[in-house]
Amino acid sequence: MKHFKPKLVCFSCRFSWGYLAEDAGLSWQTRNWVPVVCSGKIDTTHILSAFKHGADGVLILGCPEGDCHYQDGNYEARKRVYLMQRILESYGIEKERLEIRLSVDPEGKQITHYVKELSDRVAKLGPVKKMIERTESGSAV
Amino acid sequence: MSGKPKVAICWLGGCGGCDEAVVDINEAILKVVEAVDLVLWPVALDFKYHHVEAMQDGEIALSIINGHVRNSDQEEVAKLLRKKSQLVLAFGACACFGGTPGMANLITKEDIFDWVYRDAPTVVNPKGNRPQPKFSSDGKELTLPEFYNQVYSLKQIIDVDYYLPGCPPPPDLIMNAVTAVLEGKLPPKGSTLTPHKALCDTCPRNKTKPSRIGIKDIKRIHEIEAEPNTCFLVQGVLCLGPATRSGCGEACININIPCRGCFGPIEGVEDSGAKFVSALAAIIDVESEEDTKRVIDGIDDPVGYLYRFTMPTSILRKKRV
Repeated sequence: MKHFKPKLVCFSCRFSWGYLAEDAGLSWQTRNWVPVVCSGKIDTTHILSAFKHGADGVLILGCPEGDCHYQDGNYEARKRVYLMQRILESYGIEKERLEIRLSVDPEGKQITHYVKELSDRVAKLGPVKKMIERTESGSAV
Repeated sequence: MSGKPKVAICWLGGCGGCDEAVVDINEAILKVVEAVDLVLWPVALDFKYHHVEAMQDGEIALSIINGHVRNSDQEEVAKLLRKKSQLVLAFGACACFGGTPGMANLITKEDIFDWVYRDAPTVVNPKGNRPQPKFSSDGKELTLPEFYNQVYSLKQIIDVDYYLPGCPPPPDLIMNAVTAVLEGKLPPKGSTLTPHKALCDTCPRNKTKPSRIGIKDIKRIHEIEAEPNTCFLVQGVLCLGPATRSGCGEACININIPCRGCFGPIEGVEDSGAKFVSALAAIIDVESEEDTKRVIDGIDDPVGYLYRFTMPTSILRKKRV
């Protein structure tokens, strides 16, 4: 897997990450970057859908502890991520593929850095295992 | 033959509980039998599949099918009934979502065969025999249905018109469904013939719930003496009520057992387990990273609890191997 380039999805909170940056430039550098109004808005089904559609890793960026604009959205996100990691492991998707970081970076320079960091770690794990689609021929009636 | 509408009741990969639930409508079943002609019911009546094969397409008014699909025989019967029926009702949690047998999607077909024919402590199989779909002896060929790699819900195999979940579905909803078909008062195709609210909405314990639940620890039902009238989630016991459809008559809640989710997701939701994760995260009342990890790592087998009845229709459907 020498040339394996992981496909990542990055959800980030608008209030702490990249609000001073130019969206177009940042999305050009970071593919599948999805800024949201609060990390607490990231639904578990979004995370599952990302993996279902072939993401090799998902990075969630939220506000620092105690600094959520909506009181506790970042804590909610973190609890969900830990729960989802356990669910994903049972489905055969390593928990290291889902990561949450609570910090602040108005210019969004670290977004690309953290995406790269997760990308490097995921690259070592290899591509996410695909679900084997139906192999049975089935019966014709 | 009379001009009464024909009805078939059939089990695929089911335990028979759903067939029993049909009998549980008690004397009302006599009225149903007066109104319809039963043409197939393997559990109770001696009709054969070739009787159904001999019928014209669409001759059966309604097929009530319970159980999941995991082998070629079950698939064949499902497809046969679909061809011969005007309406197909997926009956029970297994037909609707894969049900408890759907948990087998977390292990492979090979794991199952290894355990059943080699590793289980009660197995004596010195030659290591395994069932084969085809076997020839003396010029004759014997066949067995092919065991599939995963469990399918009914809608993943055939087109389904209506759904009636539950493990098993309760008698009042069965009667409502049958009456609706007989009177032709059916909702749009694809509907689930149950109320559309979440179980918490109709739960008698809902009034004991504070405006904001906060739990510091998650316990299993046998680890505490559960208060008979207090919301389970307030007591720290996982109860799938927030993410599960109502209509069961709160059967489990009334005997002091938390909801396990046999009615599946609420209208418009694909993955009830994921929705419950969101609900659960919101009520775990801890802030620090260590506490969060401690509480969450304390849950035994979260996927088994959250997807007990719905694994094959969940977003990820099956373990990746």
